[in-house]
Amino acid sequence: MTVSLADPMFRAIVGVVLGALGTFLLLPHRLGAAPTWARSLSGVLLSVLSIAFLASLWQVPASAFNAIFFFAFAAAAITASVLMITSRDPVHSALWFAAVVLATSGLFLLAGASFLAAGTVIVYAGAIIVTFLFVIMLAQQQGRAVYDRAARAPLLTAVTCFLILGGLVYSLLSLKVEHAEAGHGLVRPIDRVAIEHPTSPNRQVLNRSVSPTARLNEPARVSPTETVPEVAGLGASLFTDHLISVEVAGFLLFVALVACLAIATPKPPKRPAVNITPTEVPI
Amino acid sequence: MDVWLIAGILFKILVVVGISQGAVAYLILVERKIAAYAQDRIGPNRCGREVRLPFGLLQPIADGAKMLLKEDVIPSYVNKPLYILAPAIAIIAATIGFAVVPFGPVGPSAPTALGAPFQFQIAPGVDVGIVYVFAVGSLGVYAVVLAGWASNNKYAFLGGLRSSAQLISYEVPLGLSILGMVLIARSLDLNKIIEWQDRNVWGIFIQPIGFLLFLISSFAETNRLPFDLPESEQELVGGFHTEYSAMKFGMFFLGEYLNIITTSYLVVILFLGGWDLPFLNAGQTGWLPAFLKAFVLLGKVGAIVVFIMWVRWTLPRFRYDQLMDLAWKTMIPLAILNLVATAIVVQYAWGH
Repeated sequence: MTVSLADPMFRAIVGVVLGALGTFLLLPHRLGAAPTWARSLSGVLLSVLSIAFLASLWQVPASAFNAIFFFAFAAAAITASVLMITSRDPVHSALWFAAVVLATSGLFLLAGASFLAAGTVIVYAGAIIVTFLFVIMLAQQQGRAVYDRAARAPLLTAVTCFLILGGLVYSLLSLKVEHAEAGHGLVRPIDRVAIEHPTSPNRQVLNRSVSPTARLNEPARVSPTETVPEVAGLGASLFTDHLISVEVAGFLLFVALVACLAIATPKPPKRPAVNITPTEVPI
Repeated sequence: MDVWLIAGILFKILVVVGISQGAVAYLILVERKIAAYAQDRIGPNRCGREVRLPFGLLQPIADGAKMLLKEDVIPSYVNKPLYILAPAIAIIAATIGFAVVPFGPVGPSAPTALGAPFQFQIAPGVDVGIVYVFAVGSLGVYAVVLAGWASNNKYAFLGGLRSSAQLISYEVPLGLSILGMVLIARSLDLNKIIEWQDRNVWGIFIQPIGFLLFLISSFAETNRLPFDLPESEQELVGGFHTEYSAMKFGMFFLGEYLNIITTSYLVVILFLGGWDLPFLNAGQTGWLPAFLKAFVLLGKVGAIVVFIMWVRWTLPRFRYDQLMDLAWKTMIPLAILNLVATAIVVQYAWGH
């Protein structure tokens, strides 16, 4: 097997490895010691190189409008997530998290998943992050403590995250090579007909990543030209192909809810046992 | 073709934003007039007298000029970026919700202009219209929470905390209450819901509990009395906007009234038949029925807005624990019961 920079897989591997190194160098020290200039600078350089390598894999979407929106949302998501991790004030971090969620749902919207986009905004931006803010504001932390500035296991963190990224890029790239002649790019605005088509890249990713866990009955197959309402299709898929996963997730959430109630219920205050002798206890 | 499409959308955005902001200015006048009648006063009646306009019809201009020309104080102890961001979020979140709200006939019954159908909606054909409105509406919480926190003032902070708890709690019954209507109309698209009501019967007759729950939770979501705990003047000075002055305060005001308009549109579209009246139906195309439908819709929305303002002077404010009890112990169980009952009827009695 020849290795050259023209091979996308090679560029992807180089990008992922450089990214892992750069991120490791940028992560704070295990004990919260201040990083040296040389370390930070080389970390930034490696990360930029890594992004450049990965960016060389991108294909510009077919329509100019989609391209503008895609790159705007993608850049916003990456910038906001870096700021979320690096900002010192927890309230600012939470707000940057909200920005990440909004940018991500913009990307969902471009991919034709409008229900997912709206649902993400409602659940994450509208409820979860507001609850975070609620707690942070009550606790009034400033994020100056040592344990906030230290990373517990920087090496393992970097390796794990970039393994996941590598796997993702690998699966997407192998898909792209197979379908290069059909004109399907890695990034392409899609309509619902294209998703439903059995040889479309999206359908293939779906088949590879989410194999059905259960099936009550054979779902009604739609013809490639017919469009079903998106939400109805999503619901049908969830409650036929993935019934067991859905039920397990629901059960887990229910257990967590019961545990929350058990923890949160106020207990009767314990009286100090100092001066109480058995005869003094009222019956 | 693309250029015309975009030009049309921009034109619609301009018209809708312009009209809604203008409407807000006059809603403030309406609110003051209704308050005056409720308290046996006359209300603002001087502005416009010089040019012989009755009822103080130029009062909104005077109000707007006052907001813009007042001194804009930014206290030294606030968190400045967030202090400035909060009113911007209030107005943006309130404005972009209009994108999927139909303000006239959309779809097959839309009139044609220049060979293409002219849809009375900024973004027609959004499958998940109602979910989008809720998603955008749920972002409005940030304005209040951030204003309360960034002000660095205990009254503002208490207002912000109350508000975030209240808004999150009432979003649950708000979302659950419409699901019955969605199940019956079999779509999340606001236009399809109107068309279903046009063909059959208004939502208020088939989902009375859903209507009541939606109305009550939307009072809470728009911070209107009897749910105005985030700002309750007698307890918290001004609540989350205590530290805001001039147009930054005005922007919160604007956001609140825009939310009232959006909510009223939703009430009308979901439960009062949208543009539907006995002599108007989806089969009529052309410009005259289209404008008639838009005006009918607007009229119903106006009636709901007046109702919301009327309630403000009728009911006293809730206590905080009563507010939470109402949401979690009464409205959410009722909404779930309503949803389950509707689902059973739709599945087994109507045989869909």
